[in-house]
Amino acid sequence: MDLLDFAIYVAPPYVVGIFAFGATYRLLKYLLFWKRAPRPERRKRGAGHLAKELVMTFLDPIIQSIKRKPHDFITGLVMLHILGVIPLIFLLSQHIAFFAYWFPPYALLEPFAIPLSATTGALSAVSPIKPVSEMQWGFVNTIWGPLTIILNGDVLAILAILGVSYKLGDKIVRRAQGLHHVRLGDFFDLTLLLLILVFGFLAAHHLPSGDIVTYRLMLGIHIILAEALVALLPFTKFWHFVFSFWFGKLHEWYDLKYTRGV
Amino acid sequence: MVEVDWVSYDPGRVKAAAESIASHMDPVMVHFIENCVSCAACETACPYYAVGEEYGPVNKAENLRKLTRSQLSILPKIFPWLFHAGVPRSAEELNKWAEMAYRCTNCGLCYVTCPFGIHSGEMIKLVRGFLTKTGRVPTALKAMIDLEVSTAYNQVEGFKKLWSEVLEKAKEAAGGELPLDKKGAKYLYITSLAEAMISPEAIVSAVKILSTMGVDWTMPSDPLSIRAPVGALAGDGEAAAETIKRIYNYIKEIGPEYVVLSDGGYPYTSFRFDLPKIVGEKPPFKVIHFVELVLEAAKRGEIKFKKGDEKVTWHSPCKMGRFAGLIEEPAEVLSMASSNFRKLASHGLFNKCCGGGNAIACVVLPTLNFLGKLTGMNMKISKEEMEFLKNLEHDMHIAGKAKIDEIKESGADVVATACVGCIHTIRMNARVYGLDVAVKNIVEVLADKIEKA
Repeated sequence: MDLLDFAIYVAPPYVVGIFAFGATYRLLKYLLFWKRAPRPERRKRGAGHLAKELVMTFLDPIIQSIKRKPHDFITGLVMLHILGVIPLIFLLSQHIAFFAYWFPPYALLEPFAIPLSATTGALSAVSPIKPVSEMQWGFVNTIWGPLTIILNGDVLAILAILGVSYKLGDKIVRRAQGLHHVRLGDFFDLTLLLLILVFGFLAAHHLPSGDIVTYRLMLGIHIILAEALVALLPFTKFWHFVFSFWFGKLHEWYDLKYTRGV
Repeated sequence: MVEVDWVSYDPGRVKAAAESIASHMDPVMVHFIENCVSCAACETACPYYAVGEEYGPVNKAENLRKLTRSQLSILPKIFPWLFHAGVPRSAEELNKWAEMAYRCTNCGLCYVTCPFGIHSGEMIKLVRGFLTKTGRVPTALKAMIDLEVSTAYNQVEGFKKLWSEVLEKAKEAAGGELPLDKKGAKYLYITSLAEAMISPEAIVSAVKILSTMGVDWTMPSDPLSIRAPVGALAGDGEAAAETIKRIYNYIKEIGPEYVVLSDGGYPYTSFRFDLPKIVGEKPPFKVIHFVELVLEAAKRGEIKFKKGDEKVTWHSPCKMGRFAGLIEEPAEVLSMASSNFRKLASHGLFNKCCGGGNAIACVVLPTLNFLGKLTGMNMKISKEEMEFLKNLEHDMHIAGKAKIDEIKESGADVVATACVGCIHTIRMNARVYGLDVAVKNIVEVLADKIEKA
């Protein structure tokens, strides 16, 4: 068994186990610190106002980011998150195949699959012939159509790599300026993410050489690093995606909008 | 009782202070501490970011994260250097922490700007609490806390004289004796010595409004506080709770249906929203601001306005707007009072901060001198603290410039607001930037415009 086989067929249950342990620990902490206290009388606002403010609670930081830090908005939110890691992780066709192997219902997302490379995307758009493939579906049938010329693993990975590189550079500059909110964990997390993206890109392009051993090694490293990220997720800033982003904004809405009637 | 100390470093005291802060966690604070991704989205929202990048909320709040990691987490305790855990290890470092903690007005702009709903201001409040326990607390603030908790302010001649003068004017405004400490009154008006010092006209105007409305009201014969709960500004939760409980007992003795405040700063939020948690029960009365009282009366047709045309604008105090939901209501009332009311450019949830809240304006040197003259108290300030205060005043002017700029832009002659701290800060900063504008509590603007329907 090589690294790739281990990463695909052996590691996932252990990764999920470590993740579950970490997530339980993090969530239990909230429960253990919870104390019952009388609540103030809330300032009553209509249901429509509360619903609108729920949306705005999530949107306001984005609007502020566009106004005050447009460079962060473009690199951090658009390139790294919205166009980068979110569609890549969940919709890249190879990822869908992998997730569906362990969790069959995930295959429901197949119609949204994003092809791996620009070439595949271009062919999907211009070739009238369905590619001969042993895979279970053809990209020509995804909902994206000609959009796959830009909506593909290549373009998205490059955007994500640029985004995460900007973030790393920003942290280095801040650290050099003596801003102590930049932690070693930030460098670890961002480097891990960068390596995952770079090794994934190398594997997708059969780089640095086209032989099968190198390919399997590159892909194996890509997957094992991604599994390390998932296992460490509850112990790192990546937790924001699973829990703290949602909890934080919902709490803010409950505190300011629901209770105080802002 | 903690003594003010800006010079020495006592490791035992620092350790005890850190342990005490770490023992006051709740799930929300755990979220604030653990879930920052260090994106620094909050920083440009902070008024003190204009002073320097290091005063961005994420950077200031990091000190609490360092402190709690050293107390609450296993791995950071073993490898503090790896996880950025620890407490100040020298007098200089303690002073640096104080410098950062007092560059925060707790205005909440970071809270609503953070993509994860992290309220750095509340974290910095805990850092202040830690610093207070080590002795790093501004002398003036400490003096006010001690006076308030002990109620010794009622023995200070300067305060007694000030209070009686304000009551005398209020009597004139009411056109007769004031209904002081009247049990069973429907409305209990609560004010403070700070309001009497900074905006005495607000108290007189509040009394005038209550008298004009002809409602059954009362107010305390002696001031209930310096500005309750002033302890909260130094992160001193125990002092704050003690004062709140004392005032709560007084209110229960009077037994009003409504407690009304003219101060829309932290006293309003404390009594309106924090009270139940502090006293451990739901209060048998409602807490409202004069804006709510007037607006409701106008809607019910009990009062009407003699509409004027003065160029007036509204500066929304963070504790009344962002933290208490009264954002449009003051604008609505002012529109009834003046045909020339105009909103500031940042009006709304993201209203710019005055730059001097959270005790900053009340500890800087001009305030210290004013307090000294009024009370005859001679506060001894160390060289280190004096340096801290001078720099703080300088930075407060920078932090408050954006607010002055938008007031200028509005073209208003009168800035109506409702917080003693905002009034004091905007007046000081307006002087520095050469802006000729009257800064008043909103009740002063409304008092002459209201008549019984």
